[in-house]
Amino acid sequence: MERSLTRDPGFWIMVVIGLVLMIMGPILIDMFTIMQITQYVVLSVFALSLAYIWGFGGILSFGQAAFFGLGAYAFAVSSISMGDTTLPLVLSFVIPAAFGVALGYFMFYGKLSDVYLGVVTMVVTLIFWKLANHTAGPEYSIAGVRLGGFNGIPSIPTINIPGQPDAWLDPAQLFRFFMGVLIVVYVALRILIASDFGRISIGIRENETRAALLGYDIRRHKVIVFAIGSGIAGLSGAMWATYQSFIDPNAFSMEMSAKALIWVMAGGVGTLLGPILGVIGLQWLTLQMGMVDFLNSLVVLGAIMMVLVLALPKGLVPTFKSLGIAAWTLWRRGRGVSSGVKKVTSDD
Amino acid sequence: MTDAEKDKGYRILRTRGLTMRFGGVTAVDNVDFDLRDGELRCLLGPNGAGKSTFFKCLTGQLVPSEGQVMLKEQPITGLNTHEIVNMGVGIKTQVPNVFDGITVYENVRLSARRKNTAGIARDVAEATIEKCGIKHLIRREVGQLAHGQRQLVELAMVLAAAPDLILLDEPAAGMTGDERDRLAQLVLEAARSAAVIVVEHDMQFIRQIAKFVTVFNRGAIFREAMIDDIMRDRAVQEIYLGKQADAAA
Amino acid sequence: MDYAIIVALEMIRAVAWLVLLAAGLAIIFGMMRVINFAHGEFLMLGGYTVVVSTGAGVNEWVAILLLAPLVVGIFGVVVERLVIRQLYGRMLDSLLATWGLSMLMIGGVTLIFGNTVQGVATPFGGVRIGSYQMPVYNFVLIFFAAAILLAVWAILKFTRAGLIARATMQNPNMAETLGIRTGWVYMATFGIGSAVTGLAGGLLAPVTGVVPAMGASLVGQSFITVITGGAAVITGTLSSATILGSISQATTFWAGPVYGDAALLVVALILLRILPQGITGRIFKRAL
Repeated sequence: MERSLTRDPGFWIMVVIGLVLMIMGPILIDMFTIMQITQYVVLSVFALSLAYIWGFGGILSFGQAAFFGLGAYAFAVSSISMGDTTLPLVLSFVIPAAFGVALGYFMFYGKLSDVYLGVVTMVVTLIFWKLANHTAGPEYSIAGVRLGGFNGIPSIPTINIPGQPDAWLDPAQLFRFFMGVLIVVYVALRILIASDFGRISIGIRENETRAALLGYDIRRHKVIVFAIGSGIAGLSGAMWATYQSFIDPNAFSMEMSAKALIWVMAGGVGTLLGPILGVIGLQWLTLQMGMVDFLNSLVVLGAIMMVLVLALPKGLVPTFKSLGIAAWTLWRRGRGVSSGVKKVTSDD
Repeated sequence: MTDAEKDKGYRILRTRGLTMRFGGVTAVDNVDFDLRDGELRCLLGPNGAGKSTFFKCLTGQLVPSEGQVMLKEQPITGLNTHEIVNMGVGIKTQVPNVFDGITVYENVRLSARRKNTAGIARDVAEATIEKCGIKHLIRREVGQLAHGQRQLVELAMVLAAAPDLILLDEPAAGMTGDERDRLAQLVLEAARSAAVIVVEHDMQFIRQIAKFVTVFNRGAIFREAMIDDIMRDRAVQEIYLGKQADAAA
Repeated sequence: MDYAIIVALEMIRAVAWLVLLAAGLAIIFGMMRVINFAHGEFLMLGGYTVVVSTGAGVNEWVAILLLAPLVVGIFGVVVERLVIRQLYGRMLDSLLATWGLSMLMIGGVTLIFGNTVQGVATPFGGVRIGSYQMPVYNFVLIFFAAAILLAVWAILKFTRAGLIARATMQNPNMAETLGIRTGWVYMATFGIGSAVTGLAGGLLAPVTGVVPAMGASLVGQSFITVITGGAAVITGTLSSATILGSISQATTFWAGPVYGDAALLVVALILLRILPQGITGRIFKRAL
């Protein structure tokens, strides 16, 4: 875990895979599948936001959807009223991040922890959800854009090339752009985690008391981590809004927060790759289940969540990694080579 | 200098009327405590005497019910732990508080990093680890070490920050004879450039390091004297054995 | 004058509503430190029990007072044995697992009963207070809210079972060494908490429509009441329900139900900020 980032093969493999997919994807794969994958990409960014604050900051948020929705609505309102999508994308990071600072200050300087933190984040998301649902009338509009209540906001513009509001990205370009965002977010998070700021965050997660005893201001740290996660979640919300050209209060739903939790749990808390795999796996699964009539998505989600918590508390990736390493060690011992057992720490 | 004049001198740590109550229990009772710069003081006393509670009032882990704590003549009562630490205090808690999931090196480096740049922090960390005699453990994960070794890691973390006041709560607990000797050496050496307070039970260890001692009993300071006088003091022996010191008082 | 009476009664009803919603959850959280995120679905189950059994001809009161608690109580015991038992001490894991359970239940009930709203007639009619009308059923709700609190308090304080439960809650290891089978205590506690929740669900069925997702809107209020109340079962629930219920109801009278709902959430946030361990985490710390 303390290997320098540039010497971690896992990191480079991820980046290369990402770049290859980004460049070659639309060439080798059909457009329909590309559009499917685009959805996974957007949700992966959302998953990474929770993966970061939970796995590397120790903050278990039950309301990541609050920022997802904020970013989505911020993008929708500003892009429709401005006609161009460049600044709205920036706003979709900045506004949720600012709110994250405020909420973070409220929570961490109030010494809320664990369960109570979870409940507060949940309550905040609930408030947003109720407010969003309630804004149906024409009097509810921001910058000339009607919020639409439970009907949502339609006709959200597609991303355009900066400065050329009529030059929309076609599906292939959109895919490439989103992949680019995902890669940038992934790399940025890896760098952050490997930096001393990230190390201290992990220290705080390991032993808060000791971090304070070393003189670090835990509260300030957590607020920053939380705000970064909020910004990333907001950005993914904007991506979602432009991808669907539509957004409604479901962006603030408990189900959205629950999905984020499942992706991270399934993939493994403490990794970045895992949650991405979790997104792909789960979305694929729901797609398959949609074709089968006798189960609905809630049943599947619920069952998966329960199975994960009861059987695989560490998540899929760390479990497979442990199994893999155990198998490798046994194999090497079988060949008469003694090997030091490496403790499994994962962040890739 | 008369005693009165000496008293008016600079004290790195002072408490006045320090009291800590938990519901109906008064754990620390109106304690006035002084520590001179560079002094090494041991806090003794039977179980439940209030030493650890007093300790926690100094570290900011508890907010006293009454009274004042002054560090370098600045009031620190009620400040957060990290604020107190950043004023130049190093703290080792009774139950070792270390980062179990990372290596010894990383633990000590994070401590050194607080006040130093990355490059200097690396050097300080390596030097401190060597000084504490745990260089052979440098890449090991702290969670997997024995209790005594973890105590030494925690000590290294404290020393790496080069504090002016060092607070150690039962540093010798769970140590082997060799580790204890090394610890004594380190504490004496640290005391040459910092003030040190050691809360301890281990009499062998105390004898290796103690000079001036404060004995607590029932939340108050019972006696303050040099270690030899304390060892000979009948009343002190009695409070340890549990016989009522009421009659003597 | 009669308007003032109506307002006061409605505020008491709002408090009683929250008490009913939260009581079962408070029992489980207060005694076992387990978060049952499927609480809303337990309420829903109670509601469906009433709907199904009255549809099959059972007397409404029997359905509400007997069948609903029984069915949900047994269901609770099953859940405790299969799921909760693996997760003691893991507060967050129990939250996540029961969240999964809640989704499973909603999905399952939807598959069996479909998504249409089912109704049950509200017993009794209205009563005149001055120039206003108010459902008599409100008094039923208030009565049962008070009765449940009183019953739980009495059991905890005066019976041997209550003493054993309290001992186990405070120090399970010690209780074990005294020969108390803590496993049974937990099972019984979860079962009773579930039964109380089932009763509440049954009582609420005539008031809200019974639909698979009804738990979703109710669980938020339940949780907020319990967490804001803190660890003490009776005092916590009562104090937070009183504060939250009266303020939100007053706001509803003044500005409408949406603001009333919002007020409840905002007050809860403020309370949690001031008292991060809930009301009884700081005040009335040793109360029941």
